[in-house]
Amino acid sequence: MIRIIEAGLRSTIQDRGRLGHLRSGLPPAGAADPFALAAANALVGNAEEAAGIEIIGTVFKFICDDSRVVAVAGRDVSVGTRSRLPGWSSVFVRAGQTVTVYSGERTRFAYLAVSGGIATDPVLGSRSSYLPAGLGTALRAGDALPLGDPNAGAEDAGRRIEPTVYDERVRAMTGPHDDRFEKDVSARFFGEAFAVQPASDRQGVRLGGVPIAPRAGELLSCGVVAGAVQVPRGGAPIVLLADHGTTGGYPVIATVITADIGKVAQRMPGESLHFYRVDRDKALDALRAERLALSIR
Amino acid sequence: MKPRVVPFGEGALLVELGNEFQEDVVAWARGIASHWETILKLGPAVPAYASVVLRFDPLRIESARAETFAAELLARGESAAVAATKQGRLVEIPTTYDGPDLAETAERSKLSVDELVALHATRDYTAYFLGFMPGFAYCGRLDPKIVSSRLERPRERVPAGSVAIADGQTGVYPFASPGGWRLIGRTERAMFDPSAADPVLISAGDRVRFVPQ
Repeated sequence: MIRIIEAGLRSTIQDRGRLGHLRSGLPPAGAADPFALAAANALVGNAEEAAGIEIIGTVFKFICDDSRVVAVAGRDVSVGTRSRLPGWSSVFVRAGQTVTVYSGERTRFAYLAVSGGIATDPVLGSRSSYLPAGLGTALRAGDALPLGDPNAGAEDAGRRIEPTVYDERVRAMTGPHDDRFEKDVSARFFGEAFAVQPASDRQGVRLGGVPIAPRAGELLSCGVVAGAVQVPRGGAPIVLLADHGTTGGYPVIATVITADIGKVAQRMPGESLHFYRVDRDKALDALRAERLALSIR
Repeated sequence: MKPRVVPFGEGALLVELGNEFQEDVVAWARGIASHWETILKLGPAVPAYASVVLRFDPLRIESARAETFAAELLARGESAAVAATKQGRLVEIPTTYDGPDLAETAERSKLSVDELVALHATRDYTAYFLGFMPGFAYCGRLDPKIVSSRLERPRERVPAGSVAIADGQTGVYPFASPGGWRLIGRTERAMFDPSAADPVLISAGDRVRFVPQ
């Protein structure tokens, strides 16, 4: 068991998400910064489908009933046992030892993985929480969660994965609805900086800046994916994240590559964001590089 | 427009079938989605009015190969795709017609409330696809005598179970949410139940009938 002493502002169990029920209108959910959760899992020897805890707001504090390897990843995160250690590294903790997950000034989402993984019963093929539909709950102080059998021990402490560079540069492929924008508007989209708006959440990151208005004309609702940059008529783009509705009615000017979705998710309100156009090969290279970074054993 | 397949990021393809809403095109989209998911088993698919998003794992399936599969599916044509989809079930929704927009919608439509209820309840609708929120099925078509323009001011909170109409379609809000559809009634039936193996009451392709209570 992992026993939660303090639960941050809002913390939920998340894994890679639930892709099996998109046709039922159920958003995928899963970690908003998927690579950070994947890195935390890899550091503690978990399988890629293992569940961890997504933490919003500080402080998150817990103990485990037996000794475990833990790792924290995300933007600007650290972990405290007897001393305070940087994130993106594995830490061995003894039974009953208090562990604190620290979010920094620039953390939107911190990810905690524990060796063995959070072993709550999967619902509809995933352990990811999606609170609007009553899947999972916001974790609270006093909650105790089951853990799976660990694949890592004391000898696995001190492993590291190079943290994501959470800068403003975000790579995106054009389209699929780029033909609904004038050429100069598309060029502006890839040329200008946007500012992240406070109304951003796990559904999407809302951007302000120079308007990127689509051409006139209705778009019939169509399916969407995380990373899609939707542009409502007003011209203020929204980058969809894990809790996105399965369909959307706004043209998608570009799609952030999978490897950079976490960078978008972790931008703080007021920070800037700049899109760079890449082709599919570059997007795949980035995905393979991520996969390689995770293979630390 | 000519139907086409375009990349949607590196892990999905968007199949565009047209620009306009047509019942046969919606059925075509559903057929392509089913084929991708259950026969080719390449990944999840999300059909909508005139498009399908086909997802795949680009580290396991080469993108060019996925594109070829999608193009072949498209080339099979509408009738083949529609013929391959299984017949939907009939889903009955017991409905209490007392929604806050019922009287006004009847008036706009130059119908009595009873006439509007009769028009809404006497036809079987097709569930086109699900979206917006878990378990929300876009169903149509409404009798054209019913005026179903969206509310000029969307509500901040539509109660769960609200039976609503908009843009020639009808549906039931599974959860409380903001919404701009006209509320004409309500049902006690749950649209989404995560404890069931199939969590939705209405699946795409089903026939839907509202039964006045």
